[in-house]
Amino acid sequence: MNILFVMKHRPNAGNIHAVVDYMRVGQRHGHSFALYGTEDPWVPDARFSTNVWAFDRLVYLFESELYRVQRLREVALLAKFPKRHRLILDMDGMYNPPLVLDDYDHNHTDEAESLRWIEFCDTLSDRIIKPTLAPSDNPRVSSLIIYGYDPALQLDPASAPPKQFDILHVGHNWWRWKEVAGELLPAFEQIRDQVGEIGFVGLWWDAPPPEGPKAGPDEALQSDPEAFRQFGLWWDAPRPEGRKAAPVEAFQSDPEAFRRLRIHTSTAVMYSDVIRTMSTARINIFTQRPILRHLKHLTLKYFEIFYADTIPLLMFDGDHAAAVYGPAGRELTLAGRVAEKLLDALRRPDHYRGLVEDVRHHLAAHHSYDRRVEELVAAMRE
Amino acid sequence: MKLLLVTWVDPLVRSASTVHRYAAASRALGHEVAVYGDPHPELPSLPFTRDLSGVDLALFVVQVPSDFPDMPYLARLLDGVPRERRVVLDLWGRFNDTIRLDHDFNHLEKLDGHLGWEWAETFHAVSDTILQPTLSPLRPEVASFLFHGYDHGSVARRYETAREAAAVWRAAGPAEKPYGVMYVGSNWQRWDQVRRFLERYGPARSEVGRACLVGWNWGKRPDWAVQKGIVGIDTDPAFLAELGVEVRDGVRFDEVIGLLGKARFAPVFHRPLFQHLGLVTIRTFETFYADSLPVLMLPREFVTAVYGQAALALVPGDDVAAYLTDALRRPEKYWDAVLQTRSHLARHHSYAQRFQTLGEHVKGGARSGVAR
Repeated sequence: MNILFVMKHRPNAGNIHAVVDYMRVGQRHGHSFALYGTEDPWVPDARFSTNVWAFDRLVYLFESELYRVQRLREVALLAKFPKRHRLILDMDGMYNPPLVLDDYDHNHTDEAESLRWIEFCDTLSDRIIKPTLAPSDNPRVSSLIIYGYDPALQLDPASAPPKQFDILHVGHNWWRWKEVAGELLPAFEQIRDQVGEIGFVGLWWDAPPPEGPKAGPDEALQSDPEAFRQFGLWWDAPRPEGRKAAPVEAFQSDPEAFRRLRIHTSTAVMYSDVIRTMSTARINIFTQRPILRHLKHLTLKYFEIFYADTIPLLMFDGDHAAAVYGPAGRELTLAGRVAEKLLDALRRPDHYRGLVEDVRHHLAAHHSYDRRVEELVAAMRE
Repeated sequence: MKLLLVTWVDPLVRSASTVHRYAAASRALGHEVAVYGDPHPELPSLPFTRDLSGVDLALFVVQVPSDFPDMPYLARLLDGVPRERRVVLDLWGRFNDTIRLDHDFNHLEKLDGHLGWEWAETFHAVSDTILQPTLSPLRPEVASFLFHGYDHGSVARRYETAREAAAVWRAAGPAEKPYGVMYVGSNWQRWDQVRRFLERYGPARSEVGRACLVGWNWGKRPDWAVQKGIVGIDTDPAFLAELGVEVRDGVRFDEVIGLLGKARFAPVFHRPLFQHLGLVTIRTFETFYADSLPVLMLPREFVTAVYGQAALALVPGDDVAAYLTDALRRPEKYWDAVLQTRSHLARHHSYAQRFQTLGEHVKGGARSGVAR
């Protein structure tokens, strides 16, 4: 089967790595995957195509916005692929009623936004797939983990980079601050003199993203009402839809606390450098934004972190870890005992490496990309 | 026939007038016409619908990308109307190889973000039937359908004879006809022609009367065109001022005929791309509703083919000033051409005939002539 993905692809965020894995593994099973669009030098491993006639099925992969292609391209896609041949992957839990967790993380700012998302998705497809362990009551929704594990991508310790950090966190500061400030920083405070370098890699740990529209001809043109009328130009630029501007609390940070705790920050790395970057640390801490944890969504990082030459320690509960990673996963959780566990992992690395190996075997047995490719193709055939 | 028009209707631009005439004509002809979408508050007499049941033909009237509806309407439409009941009407010659003529073009990515292949692929994806409003489409897989038509009932003031028309026209004072020449249309790829016309009209200005240009961007080249480097929207305010040409913003589609009647002469210009492709526009037909003498600034072959032989008398040739002054002296000759042309248009380009052509597409179902 030939499957075309429509998604906003960013080389340093989101789900691009998983899609590249589908492309790579799909070939072994006689399936072809591509991203809708033209070649992107920042994503050299990905296959792109704009030839809608070369594909049998269309998969919309939505994260936190309803990604749209330009109008004519959207028409061609929707005209070529009937509704029964389109499928939506709801990666960030947006196809849900409004949810607010602890007055903090939320999927939608209000009911209207949620309804707009749901209407949009229901119009596009009759089937929504979520990468979650929690089954849905909605007959349109089914669960499929989407992400997988490919042992071939494990980094050989012999070729791993030297260890620069004792503790590293790789991920963007996007609804993670409450957990970082409430649990990780106090633990670091307790043990700071007993551990080496600590680092946070990702966007917005020092400051929120710069705001304000870019100035330039496009904006000048799009703000000219006569041009709008004559040429219909206000519709033509791809516009992120489905979400209002992100609230500032999503990017909350405390650079002073980071300075005091001697925590290094550096910006996001390309998807192809994530594993090597994680491998520069003895321990990698895995946090997940609260709303996705609540929805029991799995993310790319659940699997990616186990490719790295490091000891992953997980900020979620033992039952959930065991459900995904098998019994050994429970032993890698940090919740409620962060400081103690970090020190223990640094002092007994061989024990923890054994746990990591057990998890890797579990992932290879239960979550291979070969299995994921077949599951997705089967879902598209239904 | 239940005809669904898929297009963005704006009272100030593009095809609003023709779309209204389809809706009006359908009632008399026993058809049902509606525009896909929600009612437009500025167009209360135009029926809109989101009901796709029983649609015999969805005619995608495409000029700009936003003539295709936005989501979620777009998906509902494409999933709700089968391909064999969809037809694409390509009003601006998009379904051709990329063409550059003077400053004019049929594809320009920096203007609307789309390359030539995207237009072709989109049309192919929507339908096997692609129509263009020209008598001679360049591509063999495209069929001719002029779309815009002539409704004799819309003529502002009807005359039995050329003598009667000429008498009324001659007697009209400054209150009825304050202008000598009026052109209604936006400054989009027409400046060179308009300038040439005005230069030649100049010597006869005092006799003919003041000229007026009605439409967007005649007074000033817009900032976005400067920034984007798009040169098809030129103007020369000093030149216009020197000739005393009045410039006004665009008007609603239903004010055009009355406005043209405020002038003795109403020139018809087609942008270079349209002349090359032989595309007709609203104004090709609509100008003949006005109580004014049309001046056809169009190729003679086109004039003969669309308007009939008599309309050649309305083509001024190079000496515009001499033509206009001659018309002032003996308007009977020109009004005779107008009345004959109106008859020709009523016989050959009525909306009843347009519906008949569309009905043939409905009977024929999907035409599989478009190669992919």
